[in-house]
Amino acid sequence: MTTLLYTADGAADDDLAEALRGCARGERAGLQRLYDRLAPKMTGVALRMLRRRDLADEVVHDTFLRIWEKADSFDAARGKPTSWAFAILRNTALNVLRGEGRMDLVADYEAIEPASEEADAETLVMALSEASALRRCLDRLEPARRRAILLAYMRGLTHGELAGRLGVPLGTAKAWIRRSLLTLRECMT
Amino acid sequence: MSADERDRLASEYVLGLLDADETRRCEERLARDAGLALQVELWRARLAELDATAAPVTPDPALWTRIEAALGPIAPAPQTPRQTPARPSRIATWWESLSLWRGYGLAASAALVLLALGTLHLARQAAQAPVLVAVLLSDQNQPAAVVNAFRDGRTELLALSALRAPEGKSLQVWTLWDRERGPVSVGLLEAMRNVELSVEGLPRPAAAQLYEVTLEPAGGSPTGRPTGPILMKGNASPTEVGI
Repeated sequence: MTTLLYTADGAADDDLAEALRGCARGERAGLQRLYDRLAPKMTGVALRMLRRRDLADEVVHDTFLRIWEKADSFDAARGKPTSWAFAILRNTALNVLRGEGRMDLVADYEAIEPASEEADAETLVMALSEASALRRCLDRLEPARRRAILLAYMRGLTHGELAGRLGVPLGTAKAWIRRSLLTLRECMT
Repeated sequence: MSADERDRLASEYVLGLLDADETRRCEERLARDAGLALQVELWRARLAELDATAAPVTPDPALWTRIEAALGPIAPAPQTPRQTPARPSRIATWWESLSLWRGYGLAASAALVLLALGTLHLARQAAQAPVLVAVLLSDQNQPAAVVNAFRDGRTELLALSALRAPEGKSLQVWTLWDRERGPVSVGLLEAMRNVELSVEGLPRPAAAQLYEVTLEPAGGSPTGRPTGPILMKGNASPTEVGI
């Protein structure tokens, strides 16, 4: 099954946290260690969001420069190194999605069959560990709403884009998402 | 903002649902709202597993080389333990961005305001407070240096970055108060550091006087005027001490 980056692997987290502290001290070996560990998964996530290899590579490139710059602001007390690094990746990718080149990307989206997106979303749930709380809680949502949450995260869609994709008014899409997120939070707390 | 509203904003931010404006507002709020920051961390942790489901893709073999090149030259070690760590990345970003320089005006940023306030606060505590302060911003609107001008005309530059000129280049500090006269060189550096600017014989600094740092051939501009790209610049503002 899928290798989870986020399993309770304390030793791996410590290693990454140490690599980040190395970056903060200006040690490139630290950044290289992070790159070796995280770049393949990051490229996969960026590709899933942007659906273009050149953009995904660019986002990973910029992400590592940002990690290097911001390494001294990483605080192990506030979260895991992977969570911190992937947040930077996702924000960088979202900036590309929300940026100037966006029209091209939207055109790309239109070429995607809704059926394949549906399958993607279900595959994604299946890829989660059987024991995962997230999977158990996602299973509580109606399929259409679960798909909305997953598409939003996987593709970085806005409320408006989701409404278009789901064929419902904007207000309805927002309300669905809001209630689904509430269910998730209650289920996972 | 109630706890529920905060949680909703955090979840929609982490999910990536916010548009560019909403994202910016959320990030501004994040900087000052610890409760919101905590909710964002919690949502990241909840959804992190979804990223782990992405199929790993071997990065382009050239990508690491490109990243390493963008980091720029190895930065000098900090001179004292109290200094902030050297930030070679920022240097890299600057050099990289030179080619992208499009002459955008440098808008005031929140960081600038905070920094200016911080500077004023420190200034008030000092025995002698500057009468003019200029915050020099990089092309990315990041505060890069502060120029303090004192009542007696003495002017100092305080570095906020570890920017260093590459081999064969120098950093030159200029000031401009009169377009007729043009920019006048007031300092030459190999790397950004705190330094007294050479303003002897110049008129007393005035409000709105421009300070900037350009990249020049080693030893300074051969023409006596800036020839290279502007690395940072800012206009002087009077402090509450008054000129």
